[in-house]
Amino acid sequence: MNDYKTTVGIEVHCELKTNAKMFSNSLNNYGGVANVNINEIDFALPGTLPTINQYGVELGIKAALVLNCTINKKVVFDRKNYFYPDLPKGYQITQARNPIGVNGYVEIEVDGKKKKIGIHDIHLEEDTCKSTHADTKSYLDFNRNGVPLLEIVSEADMNSPEEAMAYLEKLKELLLYANISDCKMEEGSMRCDVNVSVSKTDKLGTRTETKNIGSISSVGRAITSEAARQIQELEQENEIHEETRRFDEKQERTILMRVKETGNDYRYFPEPDLPPYYIDETYIDEVRKTIDVMPDKRRSIYLEKGISLVNANKLIQNKPLSDFLLGLEDIDLVIASNLLLGDISSYLNKTEKKITETSLTQAKLREVVMLLKENKITNKVFKDILVDLMETDLGISEIIEKKGIKTISDESALLDVITKVIEANPESVKDYHEGKDRAIKYLMGQIMKETKGQANPALVNQLLQQELAK
Amino acid sequence: MNNLELSIKEIHSRLVNKEITPLDLVEECYEKIEAGNHLNSFITLNKSEAMEYAKELSSQEVETDNLLWGIPIAIKDNISTKDIRTTCASKMLENYIPIYDATVIEKIKKQKMIIIGKTNMDEFAMGSTSRTSYFGSPKNPVDPTKITGGSSGGSAACVAGGLVPLSLGSDTGGSIRQPASYTGIVGMKPTYGRVSRYGLIAFGSSLDQIGPMTRNVYENALLLNTLVGKDHRDLTSAEKEIEDFTRLIGQEVKGMKIAIPKYFVSDIVSPVIIEKLNHVVELLKANDNTVDYIDMKYLDQAVTLYQIIAMGEASSNLARFDGVKFGYRSESSSTVEEMYENTRGEGFGKEVKRRIMVGSYLLSGDNAKTYYDKALMIRNAMKKEFDKVFKEYDFILGPTTTTVAYRLDENLDDPTKSFMDDVLVIPVNMAGLPGMSIPMGKDQENMPIGLHIIGNRFEEAKMYQLAYDLENKLK
Amino acid sequence: MNKLTKEEVRHVAHLARIKVTDEEIEKYQIDLGKLLEDVDKINDIEVETDELLVTPVDQEAILRNDQETRSVNFDEIKKNVPAVTGNFVEVPVMIGE
Repeated sequence: MNDYKTTVGIEVHCELKTNAKMFSNSLNNYGGVANVNINEIDFALPGTLPTINQYGVELGIKAALVLNCTINKKVVFDRKNYFYPDLPKGYQITQARNPIGVNGYVEIEVDGKKKKIGIHDIHLEEDTCKSTHADTKSYLDFNRNGVPLLEIVSEADMNSPEEAMAYLEKLKELLLYANISDCKMEEGSMRCDVNVSVSKTDKLGTRTETKNIGSISSVGRAITSEAARQIQELEQENEIHEETRRFDEKQERTILMRVKETGNDYRYFPEPDLPPYYIDETYIDEVRKTIDVMPDKRRSIYLEKGISLVNANKLIQNKPLSDFLLGLEDIDLVIASNLLLGDISSYLNKTEKKITETSLTQAKLREVVMLLKENKITNKVFKDILVDLMETDLGISEIIEKKGIKTISDESALLDVITKVIEANPESVKDYHEGKDRAIKYLMGQIMKETKGQANPALVNQLLQQELAK
Repeated sequence: MNNLELSIKEIHSRLVNKEITPLDLVEECYEKIEAGNHLNSFITLNKSEAMEYAKELSSQEVETDNLLWGIPIAIKDNISTKDIRTTCASKMLENYIPIYDATVIEKIKKQKMIIIGKTNMDEFAMGSTSRTSYFGSPKNPVDPTKITGGSSGGSAACVAGGLVPLSLGSDTGGSIRQPASYTGIVGMKPTYGRVSRYGLIAFGSSLDQIGPMTRNVYENALLLNTLVGKDHRDLTSAEKEIEDFTRLIGQEVKGMKIAIPKYFVSDIVSPVIIEKLNHVVELLKANDNTVDYIDMKYLDQAVTLYQIIAMGEASSNLARFDGVKFGYRSESSSTVEEMYENTRGEGFGKEVKRRIMVGSYLLSGDNAKTYYDKALMIRNAMKKEFDKVFKEYDFILGPTTTTVAYRLDENLDDPTKSFMDDVLVIPVNMAGLPGMSIPMGKDQENMPIGLHIIGNRFEEAKMYQLAYDLENKLK
Repeated sequence: MNKLTKEEVRHVAHLARIKVTDEEIEKYQIDLGKLLEDVDKINDIEVETDELLVTPVDQEAILRNDQETRSVNFDEIKKNVPAVTGNFVEVPVMIGE
């Protein structure tokens, strides 16, 4: 049975992070009170016409760039006609003939092996209404209707659940980092339909489509179970039918939804209400400039700077933290990442804040990292001043002063303490000179006690040795 | 009270001189509409609101620089009017009251014109006789046993019958010009994009255009001044400098080059109509204009193209009438599928259903390529053919229709006849050109005959110059 | 061109979501057949361009600013909605997806 090859292609829909809808000028925001972000265009009132959201097109261009697609410079739309209550116009405006991007790819890595997954095309379209169902009635909320969608159609280039998951992770990372979409599968801002087929030969088998899978790990499990089902069918000499299925999480298997209608019944035709829009090179260059440093690039910088792979990935998964480090590449990123992933993250979790909502600035972080690196403050001091760092606009020295922390960077203050301790413990000094190791530990302990733990041990050690040698 | 028989200029001066008020005009309109009830020009009257507004205006200063101030106007019932029922002459929208104004309505209101009512038409503008109206056929004021033409039949009839001085129609394949010709008035379909379509209930989106229907050429140009302009809500509306369409009116038409495609004077046209056209040609030649009879490709294909493109677009445009959001919903439906099929089966009339079916068929499966794409290619070639002619000529002329208005009971239920009524005017919509019909005489039975003037894109002002010149010479 | 079969008429009626009775189907077979006979002539036409003219507009689309939004109160819109429950538009239960 192992001689079957599984082939997977994936269609991803993700909602674009615009302010307004794609073809209507109402707000792109749903999930709250029903039917508030609507106007006559969303309700397809007779006589209304669509318009094109400039930023929606821009995000389309951006997506084409980060997914390595060739951009179709003539932007035109088509109508996809079908009847469903969640589709108010009776057609969806989409790009069937001239998608905004074609022939792209993303690179994935599975078990240390790199592979390019082809992207057939990406196109702009609009979302439908949200519906809820009771026994005999369904209820429509038009807030989601018209929200900009980007559909990303992969080539059938994946051959395992792991590759499919890696592809989706990669896609998500890219779209998130380019600020194109939130990509929250659990909230529906990213949705996947997975095409699976199995075959013993080079000729692809008949594929099925599994729709609306809820998470990336479910995609992996759905592929595993669907491929197994198909192999079992074929082994029993049954045929595979082209059909639409869904993945049942509890039963861990795919379930038939409907047999695919044959032929093209969507009656696509060019949208006459929207004349072409032409993208020029200057515009593409401008969009290119707005693209943040992509995750792969960031990861390689992190690794280069000595951050562990685990921590590098943790940073990438937390885009706001990773963004915070942009422009700070010259400082000690190991210390910085430890602070961000450690105490700062705990603080953010506890207070349910985003890093951008705190008073921590890049300049402050830079200073703290320097002080730590030069042993001018201890981790303990950092913990003590954290809340003030995050919640006030005070500078670090101001905080330290305010809190009455004797700073350790103050050598003369430290020397005073050291001298005092040496004078108070002549026995230990004697022991030290007789070469007893215990003595210096004891003296260190006394100094730390005097300084309430704020002194930098390395510095204390250095100064103590220096004083004792006198 | 016979103020409505005066020209707009004369009415305006009476308003300025305080001899009359807008209320007098509106009252006269409704009296005439009542007396002309048998014409069935209107589906909905806006009487109480119009009277109210007229009273309000009557207490205000007349805007002396605004000839259309306080002038009554009738609106075709496929143009969205806030708080005034808009039915498209269909059971589907029998009780639909829009919550927004079409862009042209906003403009008309800004001009302080008074909306008298919504005029009768073919259901969803699908027809050439206005007989597909759910509210019964309007009748031709020249001879009430005859059709008004269509689809803007009511808008033509109310102006021709003297009930209202001005009206708005819409033209997808001749729906302004053909009824204007049948009822003996002036109708202009402007260049595609000249007038915003926002609020015009779509039939064939790439063909539809709103235009003025009036008693004479000057008033037509005057009303067009109000309607035009780029509208950010309609991406197909054109960005053009503001111009006065009356500015060339009165200037002599001399040394112009005029083309008449041979197809427009072929044996599909009645001899009496050709005769009138020949007279026009004589008049033009007498004033140093040249008239050439030319060959033009594809003209005879226009009806076929129209059937494919207009019905294809219509099948999609009318999908929103599904009983979910507005308009008619069939009660006897327990599933969504039943709701759709019953609502649309019961809400649409015969002709509309037939056209939606044909349109759906032409776009389904491979037909989209074999028919629809091919039609759009020929359309492209046809537009290029027009462009070629306009490189050399100022105007293209022909008759508006092949016959005069026929009897209300003639040619009923022939699915193809209604398209043939528009055979001479459809090419203009395909190429997005401006086209207008002006009266050029009458037949033995006194039925009006229209002259069709086709101009180059955005050259409406020049068309008005010619039309005004001929209007005077034909008097 | 051949007359449409009854099945084809039913298929088209379903695509268009228009209820047709058996008698109507026969009438549609004739009417649609006639219209399609006209339309079929298009196949005989030779044309020297393969470019489609979707709209006669020759100006490029002007795009809308993402920041400008406008909403309409549902109370306004619902005046025309055939069935409303609370803040929702009501339809017979949707089957399928």
